[in-house]
Amino acid sequence: MNYSPTAALGQFIRRFTRMGKQYGVEWWILVAGAIVILGVVSMAMFATVIAPYNPYDQDTGPQLSPPDSEHLMGTDNLQRDVFSRIIFGARTILGVAILAAILSSILGISMGLISGYAGGGFDKVFSLVMDSIYSFPGLILAIAFAAMLEPGVTNISIAVAVIYIPTYFRLVRGQTLTIKQELYVEAARAIGAPGSTILAKYIFPNVIATTAVVFTMNVADAIMTEAALTYLGLGLPPSVVDWGMDLAMGKKFLPSGQWWLITFPGAMISLLAVGFTMLGEGLSEILNPRLLEK
Amino acid sequence: MKNLLRYIIGRTLLTIPMLFVLLSIVFVVVRVMPGDPVSAMLGGHAPEKVIEQKKEELGLNRPLIVQYGRYLLQICRLDLGDSMIFKQSVMSTLRDKLPATVELTFFAMLICLAVGIPFGAYAADKRRSAQDYGIRLYGIVIYCIPVYWLGLMLQMIFGVWLDIFPIAGRTGARMFSSTFDRTGLYILDTIVAGNVEALGDVLIHLVLPCVTLGLVLSGIFIRLTRANMLDVLKADYILAAEARGIHHRRVVYKHALLNAFVPILTMMGLQVAILMAGAVLTETTFSWPGMGRLLLERIYLRDYPTIQGVIVIFAVIVALISLVVDVIYAFIDPRLRY
Amino acid sequence: MAVGLVFFASSSFAKDTIVYGTTEKVTDMDPSNAYDFHTWEIFYNIYQGLMGYPAGKTNLVPNLAEKYEVVDGGKGYVFTLKSGVKFSDGSPFDANAVKWTIDRVARLKGDPSWLVTDFVDSVEVMDKNKVKFVLKNPVAYFPSLVATPPYYPVSPNIYPPDKIVKDPTELTGGKLVGLGPYQMVSFKRDQEVIMEANPNFYGPKPKNDVVVIRYFADATTMRLALEKGEIDFAFKSFNPSDINDLEKSNKIQTIKGQGPYIRYICFQCKTAPFTNNIVRQGVAAAVNRPEIIKKVFLGQNAPLYSMVPAGMWTHEESFKKAFGDANIQKSKELLAKAGYNATNKLKFDFWYTPSHYGDTEVDMAAVLKAQFEATGVMEVNVKSAEWATYKDNWRNQVMPVYLLGWYPDYLDPDNYTAAFAGTEGSKGNGIFFSDPKWDAMFVDEQKDPNEKAREAIFKKAQQMWTVEVPTAPIFQGSLYLFAQKNMKGIMISPTLQLNYGPISKGK
Repeated sequence: MNYSPTAALGQFIRRFTRMGKQYGVEWWILVAGAIVILGVVSMAMFATVIAPYNPYDQDTGPQLSPPDSEHLMGTDNLQRDVFSRIIFGARTILGVAILAAILSSILGISMGLISGYAGGGFDKVFSLVMDSIYSFPGLILAIAFAAMLEPGVTNISIAVAVIYIPTYFRLVRGQTLTIKQELYVEAARAIGAPGSTILAKYIFPNVIATTAVVFTMNVADAIMTEAALTYLGLGLPPSVVDWGMDLAMGKKFLPSGQWWLITFPGAMISLLAVGFTMLGEGLSEILNPRLLEK
Repeated sequence: MKNLLRYIIGRTLLTIPMLFVLLSIVFVVVRVMPGDPVSAMLGGHAPEKVIEQKKEELGLNRPLIVQYGRYLLQICRLDLGDSMIFKQSVMSTLRDKLPATVELTFFAMLICLAVGIPFGAYAADKRRSAQDYGIRLYGIVIYCIPVYWLGLMLQMIFGVWLDIFPIAGRTGARMFSSTFDRTGLYILDTIVAGNVEALGDVLIHLVLPCVTLGLVLSGIFIRLTRANMLDVLKADYILAAEARGIHHRRVVYKHALLNAFVPILTMMGLQVAILMAGAVLTETTFSWPGMGRLLLERIYLRDYPTIQGVIVIFAVIVALISLVVDVIYAFIDPRLRY
Repeated sequence: MAVGLVFFASSSFAKDTIVYGTTEKVTDMDPSNAYDFHTWEIFYNIYQGLMGYPAGKTNLVPNLAEKYEVVDGGKGYVFTLKSGVKFSDGSPFDANAVKWTIDRVARLKGDPSWLVTDFVDSVEVMDKNKVKFVLKNPVAYFPSLVATPPYYPVSPNIYPPDKIVKDPTELTGGKLVGLGPYQMVSFKRDQEVIMEANPNFYGPKPKNDVVVIRYFADATTMRLALEKGEIDFAFKSFNPSDINDLEKSNKIQTIKGQGPYIRYICFQCKTAPFTNNIVRQGVAAAVNRPEIIKKVFLGQNAPLYSMVPAGMWTHEESFKKAFGDANIQKSKELLAKAGYNATNKLKFDFWYTPSHYGDTEVDMAAVLKAQFEATGVMEVNVKSAEWATYKDNWRNQVMPVYLLGWYPDYLDPDNYTAAFAGTEGSKGNGIFFSDPKWDAMFVDEQKDPNEKAREAIFKKAQQMWTVEVPTAPIFQGSLYLFAQKNMKGIMISPTLQLNYGPISKGK
């Protein structure tokens, strides 16, 4: 076996394309999404290195100047560099969206597991609450929560997280109910395995695969919700660099022809959301392949 | 039929606790908000005494539980109370603003369906072709475009540069809605009043907002239609129809689509929530005097009763539509009644 | 609520209609509680005061009154009212209405009621057309106070005596009845207000028949509506970029007024470390006004170096002399005296309100933060609160340093000084500055009818302001009104009064 790096790379590429041949276009969709996400994530991680200016620096160049070689995305009315603000804004939106998704998944999954397994009145009450939140327009609830809490990264993440908990809850609870009936679970119970073991060993692993897809779609949606909240002026203080807020502040200048203030934030929000959606779509097709394809 | 009736009743009764849950959540959220409405009303110069007196008058000094109880009782009497800031009953404010949102969402939904269903069916038909992936890509991308950004773009392109459409409001600045306003649904009102000029004005103001919202939502619809159509197209009777020599296009767009229609209908029920959320953002972008804008304004003013009222109405609408959809579905598919 | 549908035969008008756009909001249709520029502007047109200003001018003239006499050594003012004046519903106007109105304002204790209760002790009806105001102390500028909306007589037949009215529907009869050149016929909050010429008005008939005010949710939409010709003129408030574009446009005429509108930083003088005036001075010294004007307002507005605005009698550039702009050196020195330096920075929360003054606030706070921190000895945490919470905050002394704005109630330096540094006024604005010397000074200038004496007091006050710094002025606002090229007769003045009567559409 050849262990040189080039050989390893070659193997990787071969495996990669084999996956592509096996799964078809879906694989490439997934890959495309992953590339976009990786791009934005690295932008966020290496922000201090990549960004040409400090995003708060109010003296980077002329006021409201269009994109040029010095300022790839132009400057705003406080003479800040838009490109740098986009780069640092990636941190905010990724941070909030992923934190929110993690919060809601942890809460939703654990509540779904417990409620599904426990059953009875407890389950009925929880399901009722969750169904109510699920059927209600999420953004509106998030607006109410964001208005209630003081603007800040943690708080906006909470506001966004709340509306996705029911998604995980319903998914996991449904699966828990099904798996609960399985023979091997009954057997485990017969030999005296405690509920927690059953949940952890049997039910949870079965649930993970579908949850992964939901998670990526959740992040995509959380990105849109976060951008909508900050666009409306809720959730984050102006001291945080954020694409949605920059969009809101920049739209005043659109009739004057200063298009770069809203084009880039809007494009980035769309791009990032598309990236996660494509990842999710690709993942979903691969994990739950459509049978009897023609 | 007896089972259907039982289902309807059961399903309706289920709506009530759901509404109750939502109302309670909203009540807590709204009361916990910092800042109080009395300052908004009386201003910075008002002496302490007057502020306290006003708070007492509005019942803001009682413990939260008591306020909650009063609130629930009011709802039971279908009384949404009066705005804390303006001496207008919440009900009349909602009556003013609700039709605007209804008109917007209705036509947006039409556009969404008009774009989503044909394209979704076409994509399902041309499975795994370039057109399919193209349409799917469009579906993904358009939904990920923030609706307010798309709105701004359309405003600039069609409203300003090309100057074809107006960019804000339901009627032109010189058109006075009081001359035809009856239900608040201006399309209906202008037709009833026989006022063609006003009808044209109202229609042209609907274009940009509804197209914006409708296009963004069509993204989901395309994907959902496609998924449903794929399922239907797999069925044996489709194969049989093709074998019998029925023209392929008729098979897809007539037989398959019709069969896929019912699941699509239920999907519509689920989309109402997203439609409402999108409406809030569309209304702020186009200065549309609807419930979405009302909600945001009253949040700024901490007008608790109105905020609660708006959310109640949203919840009721969503509950009603999903109830209707469920019942229709149960009517069509008897298995669901059990 | 739409009132008076019967007026309109068709949806477009045979009558001369002016459409006016604004992003402002109407507050209360009640002169006893409304305290904002826009609602007062509506009152100028549907009500009248005993005294008033001719359109576009700043000289005070009698309006509903024929004349007035000063009696009792300055503590009494007897107004003789014009006879034969009627409310728009035909009921007669007399001295009783005046007394009833003033009593009501004092009773309801609304936001601007201090304009009455701080000065007026009681009102006496001397006969049908004569009314006497008995003041607590002589007030040199009392006639200009009488020109403010809280003094505008309202009809006792329709206004409830003990409730603040928000919408015209709460009035008896559901219609707003007044004494001005216009009567309100339709009121849809945040959408439109429609006024028609009042046939019972005693003064000159308006040059147009109907005025419609259209409310816009944001400035951009309003600017575009103006450019597309959907509205005839637009006033308050525009984005700075819109102002620049509209000024240059040759389809739109610019009407610019020297605004007596000021913006300033307030210090909460009861919270450490801002109890120390040296600290307040140090912060004020770091302000760079020209930079704010350039960055936030794209060059519009003028830097302000005193609480008394430029163009007003007694104005002096006291802050320029004392500190200049971006005087980092002086700022560091002053703060060092209070014990602050690079290792022990002055840390404070700096508040602004995001929409009440327009959406330039966010930028202004960001620029000021950068200016303060450029000294190297301050660390600023920017916070914001919506107007309702903001007012609550200043009352509860939550905000140590915050931004505020001021439109004058009446045109006198007293309104720009006593309101912030007099004990009562200062408390009302959340500043809580209190100094008996200052209070005595204000009492003096209020009582003294001698102009020269008052001038000397105000000049001294402005000088003292740079020492105590209860507030630090930043800029003075210009008023911009943009109209279609064919509009005539639009006049705005430092009185902030915009009369709709003289406005007409040329051909």
